Amino acid sequence: MNNVDVWRVLDLETNDCATNMAIDEAILFHISEGKVPNTIRTYRWNPSAVSIGYFQSVYEEVNIEACQSKSVDVVRRITGGGAVYHDYEGEITYSVLVRDNDPKIPKDIIKSYQLICQGIIYALADIGIDATFKPINDIIAGTKKISGNAQTRRKPGKDIVILQHGTILRDLDIKKMFSVLRVSKEKISDKLIEQVEQRVTSIRRELGDKLVDFETLKNSLERGFSKTLSIQLERSTLTESERKLATEFKEKKYGAKDWVFKR
Amino acid sequence: MKNKAEKKVPGGKLIRVTVETDVTMSKIVNVMFTGDFYMHPEEEIHTLENSLKGTKIDEKEFKRIITNFFENEIIQILGAGPEDFLEILVTALSG
Repeated sequence: MNNVDVWRVLDLETNDCATNMAIDEAILFHISEGKVPNTIRTYRWNPSAVSIGYFQSVYEEVNIEACQSKSVDVVRRITGGGAVYHDYEGEITYSVLVRDNDPKIPKDIIKSYQLICQGIIYALADIGIDATFKPINDIIAGTKKISGNAQTRRKPGKDIVILQHGTILRDLDIKKMFSVLRVSKEKISDKLIEQVEQRVTSIRRELGDKLVDFETLKNSLERGFSKTLSIQLERSTLTESERKLATEFKEKKYGAKDWVFKR
Repeated sequence: MKNKAEKKVPGGKLIRVTVETDVTMSKIVNVMFTGDFYMHPEEEIHTLENSLKGTKIDEKEFKRIITNFFENEIIQILGAGPEDFLEILVTALSG
């Protein structure tokens, strides 16, 4: 008897920031309506972009002029949390979308973060990095953050759906990151950079200057999520209806100034 | 009059408030909480902000509104607590 839970997995995609966020919400809607299975996806951002948390003020967090001059996009997420610089080469992002009533998912929010983050910890172990979960929702290698994660729980249709998305740092350019985030010039001192280097790390750093290609990272993440959630992954694509809704969310929400600049 | 305050919650997240009062500093005209905390459902932050608008500047009244809001069982917050919302609001208005 085969009672292994089958989830959908979407292939690694590269999109602009508004499309990336619109796809997450379109999938969330369709899972809530019972139209598609629980889903895992990995993606990259081109152009590179800053995503800010739902409650953040774009004016407080983002150096908008620097973003414009460096062709870095800005988007507001539907999840809380902090501002993230998604460098095209520097990180890989994932989303896990699952019905809230799935028996695998703990009711306790931090425990649910821990379960899903364990998939990333397995993936990092796969490429030779020892990492652990740090509540509320970080993953650290040694004492340094290597992955940040955020959840929302929404019910646009019949069921509540959990969306957890997060980023895994592949390579880190702190100066570039600070040039697009709102940190005062005085603060971008060598001392601050040193301090951040003590708190944040990347796959490249942990592996002694070795870069891991995106395909390998994607495969490791998929295996990691499959293991932590005890699921089988079936490769598929977005449905026509999801694509259509994602286009709508991109135009009316994530790509619209009133959403990005609402706080 | 526009006032601001912020707090890094120990072991938690950063929470900021921008609050606008009338010229006599007698009531709140506008208020916005920002930061990297987590709250589900996210949109409910507007309910909290709207319920504080028009409120007279009175800590007891702020406490009543904030407590009522977070007592609603659909509201889940991580990285900050009701007391932090109250604290920064009071700090902003006393500065």
